[in-house]
Amino acid sequence: MITILLWFGVYAIVAISLNIEYGYGGIPNFGRAFAILIGALAVGAIVNRIFIALTGVSGVTYSAASGFAKSKIDALISSNPAYGILILLFCVALAAILGAIFGAIFILPSAKLKSDYLAITLLAISEVSFIVSYYNTEIVGGYYGTPTPNVLAFIPGESREIAYTILMLIFAALIFLLAERLMNSPYGRLLKAMREDEDVVESFGKDVMKIRIKTVALGSSLAAIVGALYTLYAGNVSGVVNLFARVNWTFYPFLMVLLGGMANNRGVLAGTFLFVAVWRLLDQYKHEIAAVLNLPFDVNWLQYIIFGALMILVLYYRPEGLIKEQPIRTEPIKEIKSGKKV
Amino acid sequence: MSVVEGAIIYSNLLVLLSMSLTITYITTSVPNFAQGSFAVFGSYIAFALFKLFEIHPYKSVPLVFILGGFLGVVTYFLVLRPLIKKEASVLILMIATLAWDLILLGFLGIFSETLGKMIGGYASRFIFTPYDFRAFGMNGIFFVSSAAILLCLFGLAVLFYKTKFGIALRASMENPQLAEVMGVNVEYTRIFSWFLSGSFSALAGALLPFKQEIVQSTGALIIVSIFAASIVGGLSSILGAILGGYLIGISETLVTFYLSKLFGTGVLVYSKLIPLVILIVVLLYIPQGLVSIRWSKWRWSRH
Repeated sequence: MITILLWFGVYAIVAISLNIEYGYGGIPNFGRAFAILIGALAVGAIVNRIFIALTGVSGVTYSAASGFAKSKIDALISSNPAYGILILLFCVALAAILGAIFGAIFILPSAKLKSDYLAITLLAISEVSFIVSYYNTEIVGGYYGTPTPNVLAFIPGESREIAYTILMLIFAALIFLLAERLMNSPYGRLLKAMREDEDVVESFGKDVMKIRIKTVALGSSLAAIVGALYTLYAGNVSGVVNLFARVNWTFYPFLMVLLGGMANNRGVLAGTFLFVAVWRLLDQYKHEIAAVLNLPFDVNWLQYIIFGALMILVLYYRPEGLIKEQPIRTEPIKEIKSGKKV
Repeated sequence: MSVVEGAIIYSNLLVLLSMSLTITYITTSVPNFAQGSFAVFGSYIAFALFKLFEIHPYKSVPLVFILGGFLGVVTYFLVLRPLIKKEASVLILMIATLAWDLILLGFLGIFSETLGKMIGGYASRFIFTPYDFRAFGMNGIFFVSSAAILLCLFGLAVLFYKTKFGIALRASMENPQLAEVMGVNVEYTRIFSWFLSGSFSALAGALLPFKQEIVQSTGALIIVSIFAASIVGGLSSILGAILGGYLIGISETLVTFYLSKLFGTGVLVYSKLIPLVILIVVLLYIPQGLVSIRWSKWRWSRH
């Protein structure tokens, strides 16, 4: 149950960030994983290097040095919680800033490319950055992974999981509220207009490229926060930097957005919850399932088939998702609905 | 295996894959993200035939070719045709092929682990190089992959230019509506293009283990190069796919090799950056691909 809630928090943020870009703005970001990677790198490559320098440790490899630095920093955090909170906030802020900057650069090809070409390019950029950071052991330890400090080291072991879950849910709630406010503002309407017809937006004097850069910077910044938070929770960058990143951080978020309903944050939350519940339950009972059905293979493979098939079924039978897209609630509409005189 | 030899082998296989991608893009206008897994499907079938029935991978090629074709047709009927009938957008179709790629990955995992249990060994990763023959001081795969590409091109040329069905195919690639008016069944040509796409990819996949090790997720690793090759060629021209395949394949191998001589083997992990950089440069400067450049203009300016 705790893991379901934790993953719900994680994926709620990713799905909302993708919903802002794809659901509202119509930008086919097939490289969502890229921003998550930036968040993981902010912690694993930058914050870790700062700590290695501060603690003055050295190791044969970068991973080993990070391990030594981690144990010193963890000891410090468990003696004084303030350090932990500070490091957490610093990581999140750094990830958000880097996410915004790299997101803005990442979307630049869209100046010349449209729909399918753009999607391929974004996917390719994201894939290659993962391949490089996975096979190069210098950046964040590559396939060895790199330990990261435990910012909640001051909380005793057994309740730490719950604390991380609460932390994740707080961030998810804040980001949900932010997204709701933003998407029900003129900016949200502008995004929907851009999704429907870029030329019309352009003819009203808006710079479509600028809107796209802003939107992807915002979305990537939110996604990078998740990358950082999840890395801190997992205590190792290997949770993000692995060869299944495209499935975990791009495909599954798309599934959640499409399942829940595009351009609809509440729907997306519902879709996320449904997905995470099925996913975690399958994972938890995988040994039982394998034993009962006498399967000669890992149930994870079955999970890919199930979610792939679910995606195709959603696309075919419910392209609008669980909850349909709703008109934006502007102030006058709210007043009319509540029966007040305008 | 010398570097140039390796580069040519890799490019031969990449050309097969980029042609597959291009053929279905022309007829169905969807970039197929599952193309890499089509190839890995071929690899595992060849491996299973080899381990279970001791059929040498080179001898199982015709069977793999046909099975791959069926996979292509199944993809079209199961995933794309229902969505096309509902007039789904290109992006939705792309997401559907991503989903199909995930499904195939799941099946490949199940297949390989079950196969491992059956042969009482490990079937998740494998390589065929020890089973290759040698001739004229070179590896057999060099001749086999070159022969494969020549045969495929010859077959396509005969099909396109010497048969009535080929003319119908070309017509429906150029202008589906007009072809339909003239009495061509565009649906047949689409199905056929998916058959070709699947079989060419599976053929490339059956030969790939002679060059590099195969794992279940190899498809995700080669998809960047496949897309780069097709887009460099223009994505809607088979000739372009051939040019793009050789350009990407040879530069990916050779540039990485010379850079690794200069800077040490640490450069090798960056090899996939080369197709990506070429892809982005081409998209930004010649988005219609190599075939769109009017070479005659250049010739004129020189005189």
